[in-house]
Amino acid sequence: MSTVDWKKYEPVLIPDIKDLHKIDVYEKNGGYQALKSILTDKKKWADPKSVVNEVKDANIRGRGGAGFNAGLKWSFMPPADGGPRYLACNGDESEPGTFKDRKIFEFNPHLFIEGALIAAYAMEITTIYVYIRGEYLTYIKMMEKAIQDAYDKGYIGKNIVDSSFSVDFYVHSGAGAYICGEETSMLESLEGKRGYPRVKPPFPAQKGLWGRPTTINNIETLSHVPAVINRGSAWFKNIGSPTHPGPILYGISGHVNKPGVYELPSGIPVLDLINEVAGGIRNGKKLKAVIPGGSSTPILRADQLEGITMDADSLRTVGSMLGTAGMVVMDEDTDMIDVLWRIAHFYHHESCGQCTPCREGTGWLEKILLKIKNGEGEVRDLDLLLDVTTQMEGRTICALADAAAWPVRFTINRFRDEFEARCKKSVHAIA
Amino acid sequence: MPQVIIDDQTYEFEGQHKLLQFIQDLGKEVPFFCYHPSMTAPANCRQCMVKVGQFVKDRESGEYELDDDGKKVIRWFPKLQTSCNIDVSDDMIVHTQETDELVRRAQKDNLELILINHPLDCPICDQAGECPLQIQTYKYGPEGSRFEVKKVHKPKRVVLGPRVILDAERCINCTRCTRFTEEISKTHQLTITSRGDKNYPTTAPGREFNDPYSLNTVDICPVGALTSADFRFRARVWEMNQTPSIDITNGKGCNVDLWTRDNLVLRITPRYNGNVNDHWMPDEGREAYKIFNENRISRPLQKLDGEQILSSWNNAIATFNEQVESRDKKEILFIGSPHASVEENYSLQQFANLMGINDVVFTTHTESGKGDGFLLTDDLAPNTNGCRLLDLKELDQKELKNRIKKATLIVLANDQFIDRELFSDSDVDGKYLISFATNLSETTKSSDLVIPITTAAEHAASYVNVDGRIQRTIPAKETKYSNRSLNLEMSVGRLDRYGTNFDNWVSEDNKIDCIPLWNFITEVANASGLELNFEDGRSIISEISAKRKAFENVSYDRMDAEAGIQLSLNNTTEKSKVK
Repeated sequence: MSTVDWKKYEPVLIPDIKDLHKIDVYEKNGGYQALKSILTDKKKWADPKSVVNEVKDANIRGRGGAGFNAGLKWSFMPPADGGPRYLACNGDESEPGTFKDRKIFEFNPHLFIEGALIAAYAMEITTIYVYIRGEYLTYIKMMEKAIQDAYDKGYIGKNIVDSSFSVDFYVHSGAGAYICGEETSMLESLEGKRGYPRVKPPFPAQKGLWGRPTTINNIETLSHVPAVINRGSAWFKNIGSPTHPGPILYGISGHVNKPGVYELPSGIPVLDLINEVAGGIRNGKKLKAVIPGGSSTPILRADQLEGITMDADSLRTVGSMLGTAGMVVMDEDTDMIDVLWRIAHFYHHESCGQCTPCREGTGWLEKILLKIKNGEGEVRDLDLLLDVTTQMEGRTICALADAAAWPVRFTINRFRDEFEARCKKSVHAIA
Repeated sequence: MPQVIIDDQTYEFEGQHKLLQFIQDLGKEVPFFCYHPSMTAPANCRQCMVKVGQFVKDRESGEYELDDDGKKVIRWFPKLQTSCNIDVSDDMIVHTQETDELVRRAQKDNLELILINHPLDCPICDQAGECPLQIQTYKYGPEGSRFEVKKVHKPKRVVLGPRVILDAERCINCTRCTRFTEEISKTHQLTITSRGDKNYPTTAPGREFNDPYSLNTVDICPVGALTSADFRFRARVWEMNQTPSIDITNGKGCNVDLWTRDNLVLRITPRYNGNVNDHWMPDEGREAYKIFNENRISRPLQKLDGEQILSSWNNAIATFNEQVESRDKKEILFIGSPHASVEENYSLQQFANLMGINDVVFTTHTESGKGDGFLLTDDLAPNTNGCRLLDLKELDQKELKNRIKKATLIVLANDQFIDRELFSDSDVDGKYLISFATNLSETTKSSDLVIPITTAAEHAASYVNVDGRIQRTIPAKETKYSNRSLNLEMSVGRLDRYGTNFDNWVSEDNKIDCIPLWNFITEVANASGLELNFEDGRSIISEISAKRKAFENVSYDRMDAEAGIQLSLNNTTEKSKVK
């Protein structure tokens, strides 16, 4: 695989332009051109279908973690029947290690708004909701301001840019539940209900919000759309890894010198990302482990990283996933038992409690890990942990059980020595 | 016809079915907790997992793909599926726990997980003995638990409302109760609160769970989390006899089971009847156990010098005849009752007719606004339409008052006129009032002769509900004159069949000295030389069905087999008034 030339890449999602969050500045820098183009340039964009096809061709793989082609998802919407249709934009990002969408809300909200409007046009949608996690109070206010500005300028509302296209745009604040980032429980939450994931099928494209056709996209996914419309799908496909093209917002946290969100092409080498982009491990320590895409993605040991790049296919070869590209870097001093307990604690706290395996399993995992962490574990507890993860995986309505089980499974498998050593030093071993 | 293969057996089917219900309808079993046939399937307990696959067909030719051995290739779903919410489709292959180790393992795993935070206090839990969790754990659960850490603690003894008490630790979060208030009773009073393994059902802060159907949540709770304030800690389920019966507290006639022990009705639970009440009943109907147990009249009462004293049956029969014979027929008024069964009203009517009195009257017992379009009705009596179909003369309060004014002897079949304030004590002043009654009341207090009669829990008799459906009761508790082992109509419980004298819970103390109304009528008729012989409800109903067009082809056997019989209400003009 040829290495991606990421050093020359110029950011499009969060370019370094002062006050880009203001609508005037955004317009001056080519903002809302894509929207105007699809609404007025009938030669290039004959109908909404042509927009869907262009986006489908660009192969924007969903940045929320699942990595599904966004345009393909759009094409699943049934034909318009005159009733309401919804676009629900998922800005709940609650996964530990993930903090990319907030950069868009903060620095380039109109890019996302434009992308959402294009998506709404392409799918003949009447109402857009953007669901933002409750903790992002500042960004909720910024989004509300941005949307109001766009209303005032006539980009949202009735007859947008004098076309027949009308759409409404609402900000909806979450109330602090991780599970509401799961697409169907986000719909429940939007409807004002308890955030319980729904049973699929029916899929949201058939029966979503209030039983109407609904598409759910991640904020970053939608923010890629204006550039695809402006520059064409070929341009987008040329960036980064061929199977997982386009720019990605990498959120790097942990024991690096320069943590933060970086917009770079997909498929850049993991080690480059740590050592060059993020400035290397702090205090000159050695790298021990990396969680590549948010806490639920399987952890990787430092020795697994050679030649691995940040895209779904490359990461799959070493048994991990790209997820949301929220990378957590850990140095040699990190206690893996502590890390794993903390992750298990998170999922235990956040399980919605609807399905038995997740509700009971996440708590069980955490309690055993706490026992090991406190020096009361036994080696057989490790096998019990692995057993419980198989009891949870693939047996629930949504993927939270999997997300809780994977870190346990893979951290124990990949750092078994460390776990066993701790268990052998425990009170039981001494007694 | 489309086919489905379940555990290597092929079944044909038509229409849409959910797999779990389909398997159950075949008489097979898959364990489950959250599913309920009358509500939506949330698939949250994850217990009804099965392995599902489909034969692979070539897209173009439509032919089945075959493997090297010539067998059809099966494409299994990558994950096990919950059978409660998956549709049965053509060419589907299903492996349940009976044929598949993977499914067996998944169900066992799930039960282990359900039980880790369950208190396992079965010895003191009311649900024990009829607990799906207990039963399925014995059948499909793990041998023991590997859970060695601390269980989650949640609120206990929470008074959710006047009738329902919650033990949140026992709750397995199946959401049956919350779905009941959302989908069936539509009061939306219950919701799940908190998150993860800390969640449990409760009301909104400061609100109480006073849904008129609240006790149904106790019935459908698959564990002992919700218990009835009235019944909890009263009896173990295996000590009780269960007798099919019907609700007599309103006009709907919900099908119920009476649970008896020691000749007391301890609780009343709904029994499925798709034509009447589905799986549900109103809370009011469950209070009827008090009618059967408390404040009963045992032995006839007679007023002597203004004071009611206990009398004997011989005396009562003689007094009854004396009073009837000493008066002009025009001065005698027979009043039937919508609270009495078809058989009781009929025997009273026949007796009156034999004496040459042709109009037996009755008045309805309704309260407008009481009905809710579901299982509560404006009609507060169980047999109003029965009276109409027997051609009893329906009078309103004023008409009845006039008739009472003209009469000097009133024979009243089990209706509490004075308690209902239709009349006052002074209306019957100077008249001789004979009451057939089950319970003591203001009406019996004003009566000169009170004949204790059997309740719906003690006789086999039929009632016609507001929709014209005739349904019947089965005796559940003994009177002084009936006996479980001798009375063929009586229900026979497990303990009757297999128990010794020592473990059968039958107490002489709670037997009431009363007889069915028709038996008393027979006695008085015979004593005065009239030809009348009513033996039991079964023979009366066959006589009615032979003589009365409205009851054509009605019999107990048919009622039992068809869960009640729909009668035509065409001739009863008042039907629309009472709903």
